[in-house]
Amino acid sequence: MSDNKQVVADINRSIYDFKDVENEKDFYRLEEGLTEETVLKVSEEKNDPDWMREFRLKCLKLYNEIKFPDWGPDIDGLDMDKISSYVRHKSDMKGKWEDVPEDIKNTFEKLGIPQAERESLAGVGAQYDSELVYHNVKDEVAAQGVIYTDLESALRGEYADMIKDHFMKLVPPTDHKFAALHGAVWSGGSFVYVPKGVKVDIPLQSYFRLNAAGAGQFEHTLIIVDEGADLHFIEGCSAPKYNVANLHAGCVELYVGKGARLRYSTIENWSKNMYNLNTKRALVEENGIMEWVSGSFGSHTSYLYPMTILKGDHSKTEFTGITFAGQGQNLDTGAKIVHQGKYTSSSISTKSISKDGGIGTYRSSVVIQNTAKKAKASVSCDSLMLDSISRADTIPGMDIRTDDADVGHEAKIGRISDEAVFYLMSRGISEEDAKTMIVSGFANPVSKELPLEYAVEMNNLIKLEMSGHSNA
Amino acid sequence: MKKDLDMRVNVLPVLTYNFLHVNDSRITGSDITIDSLECPEVGTVPAGVSLDRAVSFDKAGDIFRANKDRILVTTGVPGAPNADMSYRDKDQAIRTGMGIDVDQLMISTGATVDVYTVAEGTKVAEPIVLRYEMKDGQGSLSGQVVHAGRNSEVTVIMTYISDKEASGFHGVSTRLLAEEGAKINVVKVQLLGDGFMHLDDIGGACFAKGQIDVVSLELGAKKSWAGCYINLVEGEAVFNSNMGYLCRQDHNLDINYVSDHRGKKTNADMQFKGVLMDTAQKTFRGTIDFKNGSAGSAGDEQEDTLLLSPGVVNKTMPVILCQEEDVDGRHGATIGQLGEELLFYMQARGIDEEEAKKIMIKARLESVARMIPNPEIMQKVQYYIQNIV
Amino acid sequence: MSDQSLLQVKDLSVSIDNELPILHKINLDIKPGETHVLMGPNGAGKSTLGYTLMGNPHYQVTDGSILFEGEDITHASADKRAKAGMFLSFQNPLEVPGISLGSFIRNAYHAQTGAPVKLLAFQKSLKAAMELLSMDESYADRDLNVGFSGGEKKKAEILQLLMLNPKLAILDETDSGLDVDAVRTVSKGIEEYQKKKDGALLIITHSTKILESLHVDYTHVLVKGNIVHTGDGTLVDEINEHGFERFVSELGN
Repeated sequence: MSDNKQVVADINRSIYDFKDVENEKDFYRLEEGLTEETVLKVSEEKNDPDWMREFRLKCLKLYNEIKFPDWGPDIDGLDMDKISSYVRHKSDMKGKWEDVPEDIKNTFEKLGIPQAERESLAGVGAQYDSELVYHNVKDEVAAQGVIYTDLESALRGEYADMIKDHFMKLVPPTDHKFAALHGAVWSGGSFVYVPKGVKVDIPLQSYFRLNAAGAGQFEHTLIIVDEGADLHFIEGCSAPKYNVANLHAGCVELYVGKGARLRYSTIENWSKNMYNLNTKRALVEENGIMEWVSGSFGSHTSYLYPMTILKGDHSKTEFTGITFAGQGQNLDTGAKIVHQGKYTSSSISTKSISKDGGIGTYRSSVVIQNTAKKAKASVSCDSLMLDSISRADTIPGMDIRTDDADVGHEAKIGRISDEAVFYLMSRGISEEDAKTMIVSGFANPVSKELPLEYAVEMNNLIKLEMSGHSNA
Repeated sequence: MKKDLDMRVNVLPVLTYNFLHVNDSRITGSDITIDSLECPEVGTVPAGVSLDRAVSFDKAGDIFRANKDRILVTTGVPGAPNADMSYRDKDQAIRTGMGIDVDQLMISTGATVDVYTVAEGTKVAEPIVLRYEMKDGQGSLSGQVVHAGRNSEVTVIMTYISDKEASGFHGVSTRLLAEEGAKINVVKVQLLGDGFMHLDDIGGACFAKGQIDVVSLELGAKKSWAGCYINLVEGEAVFNSNMGYLCRQDHNLDINYVSDHRGKKTNADMQFKGVLMDTAQKTFRGTIDFKNGSAGSAGDEQEDTLLLSPGVVNKTMPVILCQEEDVDGRHGATIGQLGEELLFYMQARGIDEEEAKKIMIKARLESVARMIPNPEIMQKVQYYIQNIV
Repeated sequence: MSDQSLLQVKDLSVSIDNELPILHKINLDIKPGETHVLMGPNGAGKSTLGYTLMGNPHYQVTDGSILFEGEDITHASADKRAKAGMFLSFQNPLEVPGISLGSFIRNAYHAQTGAPVKLLAFQKSLKAAMELLSMDESYADRDLNVGFSGGEKKKAEILQLLMLNPKLAILDETDSGLDVDAVRTVSKGIEEYQKKKDGALLIITHSTKILESLHVDYTHVLVKGNIVHTGDGTLVDEINEHGFERFVSELGN
């Protein structure tokens, strides 16, 4: 019976799990492993300015010096000598969907990206392996002065200085080993600039697809939301499943200006052979608001803790996250917050679900510096265990250096209540549906923060994961 | 004896971000005088209790080694948490909160252990009281093993006291075994002088329906480490812990408490209440570990910290590890100043802010002090608290 | 003496978190020994007035003043007001673990009088007051309000009223959520306070149960932050029968 269910899960999963192996000749692929030579090749491919080439080499040196983390999930299965850090299609990025190569277009069509663009997005960027293959922003949004482009063009264009001033300043390559790796071989990603006072009414989206086996994706997203501006940015990620390890070590740097607001939503559905070692960080000025909505469903192993630095007085952040760890997954997720300014406030609310032997870890840090008088922080993390072969760990940390702060924390671990299942079943609902409903309800605080179509996607992912659930 | 110290203690059961500096604590010092290696005399030993004085640390651990398989029972379902640190303490006779470095210190100094064995069914009415009266410049290191036979009950109270200005070293290793239905109540009161270094390490195990209660008050000493690791290995074993602490001046308190649930329907309740003043620092680690097989268990840890000066540093690291579906784990922390509403309530009764703070310090500490089952010691603690606030 | 005002509220306007005002130009004059009742529908701002009179920093006085025995206390802290002889019974008294009800009252008594508390005499009067309120003596040793039922919390507030013996007691919804017996007991406590000497009362309520056995001098009706009507004790009965609608529509005009 449980085999049967697994098959169902696999079939459903196939909406993400198709691959285009036969067309490999169309792709340029850097040999596996990481040496100065490979880094210089990436740099050459990208036609880097001199400073960027130097920066890459410095990062490589750091990468070799910095140790692997001694905390967090095991990453022994990740062998950098078997990861190609650069794979691209032998064609350039397109501004028109018709011009995107047929095979790649098919992939994104299947993922519903162009349709979403037509219906509900202000602009779309699509990355396939190491390079952006498509980038477009609606005319009316561009007319507001909003810049949404690939980072490489931005690096050589009008905004070159702005990029140089911000690139890996928030996430320095010294931060950890994979930040250094990112600095050395980064490729692709987006640059967004929202000018002062401009409010972008509908979201921008980047979609990242890692199609090649044994490859790494290292896209860099840099978003600057200037004073009083407002933006919602959505990030989606997926990949087909291979038997070899893939690596995602992206970097997201977000600058939220005075009185500005940025919402950054992610639905991550990497395939279950992915090592997702991603770094995201936001710096928030006075009265600025940073909102994170994060759903982690995919990956073999994740280290993901979006960090917010509340620098300006009265700045604010909210983090809403859900993590679903199923069979073979070790997802270590959470958030980091640093309060620097006065009257800053933060709230973290997460839900984590573990089943079929998956390991879900909620990990966080809330630091309240001595300068952050009248700071308020609240953390609430709930975990749901769906069986007794899985694991749900909660490892939050708090470091408070002023008396004039108000910090509250709540953590709960439990299971689906039998009474609740019984109640639903007594109304004629099957046990599996009842459990799915309860899990969806548990996830509701997160899904209600997402735009409708993403909430639907998330609920489908939950159903998908639950349908593979065996009651053994 | 003079001793150089370089110990890694209070290691978090699973490691996390290094920048938080909570993964462990270092104890360093050179030429530390340790001149007393025995527990203080207890008057008469109650009937039904046998006392072996000054046993070697290693030998005193035999009772745990003999029961090791029973204590470290596993179900065979694999699955260690990320960055699991249990390997570090695997050679301890019984895992303790501070960890193996305390064992090694005990062994290398030749510190001795008093072993109390409570006969089956004996309910000892009067608490056993161990009074460590420390003089300035003294160093003391010693331990106890309390082995409570089936359905027995015993209370051990330890007080560590010196003059307020005194300096010195004081270390205690307390290891506990509560057999089926047995109940061990340990009360520790630390009122050492402002120059003291204090180590207080506890490790224990409860068999079916066994219970260990730990009440501790950390009110003095410049640097203090408190660790406690209780294994709830069989059905309905219970661990209750109540700690009250007051850190003032430049004092530093470092805590590592763990309840390790292996048996079914085990229960742990850990409450930590404290006050930080001046430039004091405190690190709290509290872990509830639901191992596979601990179905029906519950664990609750609550921390309530009152911060009263701008220069304090408070670190809190509450961990719940869970590999069992049918459990109920909770953690809550409230950290901050006196709540505005509460302050207003007090003020509405005519109590000004300063007075309200004093009342709240006393309230926190006295609620723990009231659990001391010895009126004379309880009064001494109340007097000590009164004097400080 | 009785011509002298105890509490004078002049053109008092109040807002919360510096946003829109909740109370508009409130005027009140309470003389020693008088019993005033403040009634009004839910959300009228009754509790806000109670909190503001007692000096809750959450509420900001944007205009007007509060005088107690002729002294301007508009910006005095709550403990100063309590020491001057004001008392507020809380609608939701706070739970304070670690400090017993008895020792809390002793602390408050000491803070207000400044004199050392004579323990035996204090215990005796505490016991008497608890008896009057049908409170089990053991409550004196229980942590303040911790695990108390709604009724017990209200009784504990009235107990404090009797022990602290203020000149003016503001009772905020002291009868809400109580059963008939508990209301009777609480009323008994309030009568006792009234009896003692010139104890004045401002009773904030939206029901009339608690007023049945009390002599009421004045009734004020608060609607949407305005005192729309002031009358004598008979107004209570009228409201009891007809509700607040007349006053709400009056304000509309």
